[in-house]
Amino acid sequence: MQWITLFQKETKENWHNKKWVWVPIVFTMITIMDPITNYYLPEIINMAGGLPDGTVFELPTLAPEEVIMMSIEQLSMFGVLIIALMSMGIIAAERNSGVTEIILVKPIRYRNYITAKWTTLLLLVWLSLFVGMFLSWYYTNLLFGDISFLMLLQIIFFYGLWLTFVLTVSVFFNTMFKIPGLVAACTILTVIFMSIINMIFGHKLTWFPNQLSAHIQELVITNTVSKELIGTSIITLSLTIIILFAAIVLFQRKEIF
Amino acid sequence: MEVLAEINWGIIAPIIVIQMILMIVAFIDWIKVEKTNGPKLLWLFIILLITTFGPILYFIIGRKER
Amino acid sequence: MDILTVHQLTKQYGTQMVVDHISFTLGAEKCIALIGPNGAGKTTTIRILTGLIKQSGGTIQFMNDKNMTDFRSYIGYLPQHPVFHHWMTGKEYLIYCAKLTYINKLEAEKQADILLEKVGIAHAKNKRIGTYSGGMKQRLGIAQAIIHQPKILFLDEPVSALDPIGRREVLNLMEELKKEMTILFSTHILSDADEISDELILLHGGKIVESGSMDLLRKKYQTAKIELEFENGVDDYEQKLTSIHAVTDTSIERSVIHVTVSNIEEARKEILKMASENNWRLMNFTVNRASLEDMFMKAVQ
Repeated sequence: MQWITLFQKETKENWHNKKWVWVPIVFTMITIMDPITNYYLPEIINMAGGLPDGTVFELPTLAPEEVIMMSIEQLSMFGVLIIALMSMGIIAAERNSGVTEIILVKPIRYRNYITAKWTTLLLLVWLSLFVGMFLSWYYTNLLFGDISFLMLLQIIFFYGLWLTFVLTVSVFFNTMFKIPGLVAACTILTVIFMSIINMIFGHKLTWFPNQLSAHIQELVITNTVSKELIGTSIITLSLTIIILFAAIVLFQRKEIF
Repeated sequence: MEVLAEINWGIIAPIIVIQMILMIVAFIDWIKVEKTNGPKLLWLFIILLITTFGPILYFIIGRKER
Repeated sequence: MDILTVHQLTKQYGTQMVVDHISFTLGAEKCIALIGPNGAGKTTTIRILTGLIKQSGGTIQFMNDKNMTDFRSYIGYLPQHPVFHHWMTGKEYLIYCAKLTYINKLEAEKQADILLEKVGIAHAKNKRIGTYSGGMKQRLGIAQAIIHQPKILFLDEPVSALDPIGRREVLNLMEELKKEMTILFSTHILSDADEISDELILLHGGKIVESGSMDLLRKKYQTAKIELEFENGVDDYEQKLTSIHAVTDTSIERSVIHVTVSNIEEARKEILKMASENNWRLMNFTVNRASLEDMFMKAVQ
């Protein structure tokens, strides 16, 4: 089947460019930094010369729920950045280099071409998210206190929807532009634009995709999946599907040159 | 120095290991790759001397796909 | 049977007409050269025919089938500067290409081996494409273009970038392939077209300036000239020459008379007869065949 052929090529290429290795590692670095640095904060302050004598400064003891949410917040910054950068060329660079000039003259269904790439990217991001959050969870349990494994899986599942949305936006811009840098810039700007909207109208837009992490936080604290979380998830998922579909339609109409 | 002794290396070691893996993978790739964006030797220094960010930078903008 | 019928094909970028209402028909198992200077619209035309870019106007019909809009299964294409996945081996790449055209895995592997042999890079089939030379890449490019046995093969400047040996090899390969499929190839070098094509389409400024079968065009443009030089000036002779039936035109350039003739054999006989009968003090007699090259040069100037 043609889709399988395209998919296999993508997964092999990710071995070749080592994305299967470096992206999960980078995600892990992003997620475990906060649990560890916060745990060692007193020592770090001491090493830096300590606090001036007489200052009364109590470092707040962090709850494990707060710590694991710090990892999510870091991913919302740097994880999104890494996704935008490492996916900026998946289609754009192929078109730019001329590789597609041979491939797309073959009887390839454009939806196969796009979804094979999208699926590979999806696997890569979810793998990285899982590895990163698993280690963050491990450190949080070790240093701050218990969070159940089931809760970790729920966090990964719901937060994965947000990252899926981001990577789909990147695929969309990949079909629009040939210059990878421009693709990354558009993806990042879209996310920034959305978070500005969220900051201004967030109190009215309860189901806006950017609200996902806020709802996940509620989930971690209250241990219940709220109606808002489900609603936001459905909206995010629907938007993802619409954008992916738009990317395919756009690519079909687009000239390869 | 006492502070250093107090640090639980069981916690810190995995980070160092991960950083090492990242660096080694980038280094192996650097050897295999024919050309990089910009001088190849410069990328070697970036990979080896700048922890974490060096290898990431190399993977994102240093690698040349052709 | 017509493989491809192109009617009033047009491509416009802004106000610039890159391809300007061109029409032609390509027959089965023919080799057609699309010739023209750089910037004539050759690459654009080929890219439209392969579906890589969309025409601004006009129609392309494949096998006289009005309903078929996507005929990519039946075409093979080698771009001017082919780029491959450099990390794959030559064989991997061919198998990949074959599977993309719905050939099953076993058959794909078999075909890949046969083609690697055919294009002469079987020795490097397990090496990464990144290590291939320009000529090897060109041959791999041809192999990927024909792996699904297309009805028509588009080659964009297939020999321009090659050294004489590589050029020879690719031309020989094309000679062989044209027995199996229609080949449309672009070139800016007339001798390449002259050597292997049956038909020629001369493109200039996006328009078809001349087209037709090679044989017809050769006859059409092979008006010959005869140059005559005399010891004692030329004025007396010119009038006498114009009385010969096969002579269509004369012109004088210093001590040389240029005679344009309609039939070279007849003119030669008549002129030489006249010269010997009248004891002309002929110094030089040269037959000059005008060629397609002249036509090409004239057309593109």
